[in-house]
Amino acid sequence: MHTNPTFWILARASGLTAYVLLTLSVLWGIVVKSRPFGSRFRQAAVVDTHRTLAALGLGALVIHATSLALDKTVRMPVQALFIPGLSHYRPYSVAAGVLTAELMVIVYASFAMRKRMGFKNWRRLHWITYALFAGGTAHGLLSGSDSGRTWALAIYICAVAAVAAAATWRALEPITKGEANVPNRN
Amino acid sequence: MFRIEIDRELCSGFASCVQDAPEIFELDTSGTATLRVKETDDERAREAAANCPMNAIAIVELD
Repeated sequence: MHTNPTFWILARASGLTAYVLLTLSVLWGIVVKSRPFGSRFRQAAVVDTHRTLAALGLGALVIHATSLALDKTVRMPVQALFIPGLSHYRPYSVAAGVLTAELMVIVYASFAMRKRMGFKNWRRLHWITYALFAGGTAHGLLSGSDSGRTWALAIYICAVAAVAAAATWRALEPITKGEANVPNRN
Repeated sequence: MFRIEIDRELCSGFASCVQDAPEIFELDTSGTATLRVKETDDERAREAAANCPMNAIAIVELD
């Protein structure tokens, strides 16, 4: 008897969708601070887009986890979706995915607590996003059953290249006169 | 001439206003934007309001 592949297909599609949304959210987050497009975009709209992409990414993650729990192809125990290391299927790379997802939730939720935790700490926490992106990339490449396909590899290569280029551009961007006087810059 | 108002609840300390107009805006010790001057005709204040990531700066025209 054949296993119904619906949830397996959904798990793969939603995993890649979450990765693409995470990548776009990271790129948009870099745009908030660096303003590479000058005043072409309103900064408030950039922040809204950044948060919306992150929220959509979390939504795709929920679909990814739910469809893995319901799928009969890899038979992922539900607790393995929350506790790193419990998966029998590629335990290390799945653990990277679980940790990445949990960190995504923490970083997203921190927006609502930014006053209480202090802006400086909030922005420090946001630096985790780079590790989170690396974790998501490792998880996708090493756990994803489509990673060997040319189109999937192209997605990963484009995502890593885009984030690396944007982060480098931001790091090399000169500090302007006003910003140099800011007491609690990242 | 116009008056500048900052919604300190919305402000999240991005400091883009300080970047745009350091003579008008500064951050206090909590990292929230504050005003060096309340009224001005410096157009950079409008630019800072337009660029604020949280829409926390309002410009009120004075007659």
